[in-house]
Amino acid sequence: MTMLDDLCQSVIEGNRNQTQELVKEAIAKDVPAEQILKEGLIRAMAEVGHKFECGEYFVPEMLIAARAMQSGLSILRPYLVTAKVQAIGKVIIGTVQGDLHDIGKNLVAMMLEGAGFEVIDLGVDVSPEKYVQAVREHHPDLVACSALLTTTMPRMKDIVDAIKENGLRDQVKVLIGGAPVTESFANQIGADACATDAASASARAKELMLELKKQ
Amino acid sequence: MAKREVIRAVLEGQEPPYVPWSCGFTKEAKEKLQAHYDSIDLDDALQNHLLKLGSDIGFFTDVGENRVKDGFGVVWDRSIDKDIGTPEGCVLLDPTLKHYTFPDPLDRRFFADIPERIAQYPDRFRVFQIGFSLYERAWTLRGMQNLLMDFYDNPEFVHELLNVIADYNIAQLNEALKYDIDAVYFGDDWGQQHGLQMGPKLWHEFVYPVLKRMYSAVHAGNKYVFIHSCGDVDELFDDLIGIGLNCFNPFQPEVMDVEALHQKYRGRLVFHGGLSTQRTLPYGAVEQVRAETRRLLEMGRKGGYIFAPAHDVEGDVPLENMLAFIDLLLDQPDYKNQQGESS
Repeated sequence: MTMLDDLCQSVIEGNRNQTQELVKEAIAKDVPAEQILKEGLIRAMAEVGHKFECGEYFVPEMLIAARAMQSGLSILRPYLVTAKVQAIGKVIIGTVQGDLHDIGKNLVAMMLEGAGFEVIDLGVDVSPEKYVQAVREHHPDLVACSALLTTTMPRMKDIVDAIKENGLRDQVKVLIGGAPVTESFANQIGADACATDAASASARAKELMLELKKQ
Repeated sequence: MAKREVIRAVLEGQEPPYVPWSCGFTKEAKEKLQAHYDSIDLDDALQNHLLKLGSDIGFFTDVGENRVKDGFGVVWDRSIDKDIGTPEGCVLLDPTLKHYTFPDPLDRRFFADIPERIAQYPDRFRVFQIGFSLYERAWTLRGMQNLLMDFYDNPEFVHELLNVIADYNIAQLNEALKYDIDAVYFGDDWGQQHGLQMGPKLWHEFVYPVLKRMYSAVHAGNKYVFIHSCGDVDELFDDLIGIGLNCFNPFQPEVMDVEALHQKYRGRLVFHGGLSTQRTLPYGAVEQVRAETRRLLEMGRKGGYIFAPAHDVEGDVPLENMLAFIDLLLDQPDYKNQQGESS
């Protein structure tokens, strides 16, 4: 196994200390930062997502793997900046207004970060106005909205409408998710895609990036 | 046949005279119903078959700004969810119980009104409720993400925490068993929309042995065990039956095949719930609510089933949809005949 294979395995197993050591070792051996990111950390989180989808991993395994990935990324980040490595896209994410549930949104944010996205987390109870403001400020490619309750799902439509009314709809793709959210609901409110869990969210996000590039 | 006997018949695998029910509503939904029923008490209008005793979520002190503190020291933000709230921060900042003292499980408020409530509704099946009965109590104290990572980082702490929570519950239910109750109704959500939050391996290692201890304490008092556990958890049914579970709620149709499971487990496990609260009730037309209710009542005709919406009905459900299922329940011929005979 190469050092990057070891790094990848270390993230998959959620071993935070070993991940940091291996990132440091790879940097010391002049492995390019982009290669460490893609072949170590991103590859690992793709495998974590796969294991989650297969029912081999659950939330605890995903959380400790994401924590290991983030600890490695924190060491790697200055080297990525120096090497001018770009994120594959920028996402703003939040739980919609009237909803304080955050673990689903946090998991999606972690998986998106682990897929190579730059993630700006707006937190919970985020109003359509805050989403619009964040689109203006951060110029994201994707807007991701989470809701756990049927009572708060309608706020997703408010977000799509507010983005549209402010003339920003062509600039972003909207991804929605949460327990009661379905593909048909996404179509109905004019969102671009629906993700049923954290693992599928990064796949949907990458598909949306391809669609954006085609525009 | 009194409501209590109808539920007993269902729990004993017999065919009941009609399908019994016990439906819950959030504050906002209750307000809509109360406005409709005007001066009639909702308890009387709904004729639920379960008499809920104790306190499912415990007792709270107002700490201002729409926040309340429970007996365990957890602060809940009720600015949005007005029934339960959302925990704020965490009480157990570190994975240790060294500096933490559990509240008194025998707090008189859990038991004080039991005789009076039983006297008010003597014909109903009496369930003593213990909400947040294990995993949920643990994560509200420790924070959900912390606890989920503690399964790997601090397993001994998780074992200790769950066992101390079980000791608290067992002390409380042993006191409840001194009253003329019929069952203990635990509440502990383990599921997601797909699969278990912590997965089957960790559930079996950490949760299962502690549940076994709690369920045994209930059966030692010759009472039935009910559990409310949201989400896709049907993979656990055989294990739960093995340690003495008698009735499962909420039986969500969005995450499990209610008819197939009812068929598979009839005679071994009773289901309470079943009516879609994620789809049909908030978004369906009245006729769709009626059709789903009729289908569930037909399913439960031979037993093994207590009707209910699969969660306390939320405030986004139209009044007409609530009345659609309530009317069908009260219109069941053998229930109506029985009411006619007793009046």
